[in-house]
Amino acid sequence: MEMVFRGAGLVLTGLVVANFFAAKRWRYAENLETVEPIVRQVFNVHCAYIVAIMAGLAMLCLGWPELLLEGRMSRVLCGFFGLFWGSRVVVQLTYYDSEMRRRNRGWDLFFLAVFLGLAVVFTLGSFV
Amino acid sequence: MMKQLLEIGLLVGGWSLVALCVGSFWIPKVLKWREKLAGLTPLMRELWWTYSIYVLSSHVFFAVLALGFGDWLMSGSRAALAMCTFMLLWWSVRLWLQFFGFDFDEIEDTTANRLAKGLLTMLFLGLVSLYAGLVCWNVGRIGVAEV
Repeated sequence: MEMVFRGAGLVLTGLVVANFFAAKRWRYAENLETVEPIVRQVFNVHCAYIVAIMAGLAMLCLGWPELLLEGRMSRVLCGFFGLFWGSRVVVQLTYYDSEMRRRNRGWDLFFLAVFLGLAVVFTLGSFV
Repeated sequence: MMKQLLEIGLLVGGWSLVALCVGSFWIPKVLKWREKLAGLTPLMRELWWTYSIYVLSSHVFFAVLALGFGDWLMSGSRAALAMCTFMLLWWSVRLWLQFFGFDFDEIEDTTANRLAKGLLTMLFLGLVSLYAGLVCWNVGRIGVAEV
């Protein structure tokens, strides 16, 4: 299971990097120019916190995967991230604009597979 | 003595986080987020709400940890130290943003908003102190952690 977590760590590192490309591709800065500064700031802060969660989890998976397999607390942590990524699949399928997803079908399926994979890994981790 | 203080801190911090999570449901209405987000593209709006909900869910998880797993957070294990350090960084950044990051000028200057801002600042200060204390506890700088 440690190797699986290390694999998940690599995937999470990729997601962290992908967030920077997404900001450029979807022109976050330009889109946010039209709104009030506080709205822009809240978006940037939330975005940064989400990236921080992913980076923290990636570090844990890559550097100390055994910590995710020790005791009751590690199961709770894995359970939380199982829900975190599982819900991300649901958000992608039910909330995000279907037209936008259709126009970017390749990336849509790729990220769905990534989120689903992470959900499975961490859910499994919560039962080990 | 220090152990009891940290246990009380976890209890107070945990319930304060519960209050923050409950209060978060009013923030969009009070700050008129729906109207302010109207100018964004659908994708940006979706991202905005998605990120907000995930940050809220992290706060829920932190509350669960503080209220249900206090013993573990004080266990002196490497995992507990890592988690406390992460939460210390999380709330330190949030405290810094409270003073230097956010532009509160556009928020209506009402008594309720001033009170909410003051309470939030106190909460972030308290959480930074709590997790700093827990980090020190877990590395053995204060008290003796039971490994």
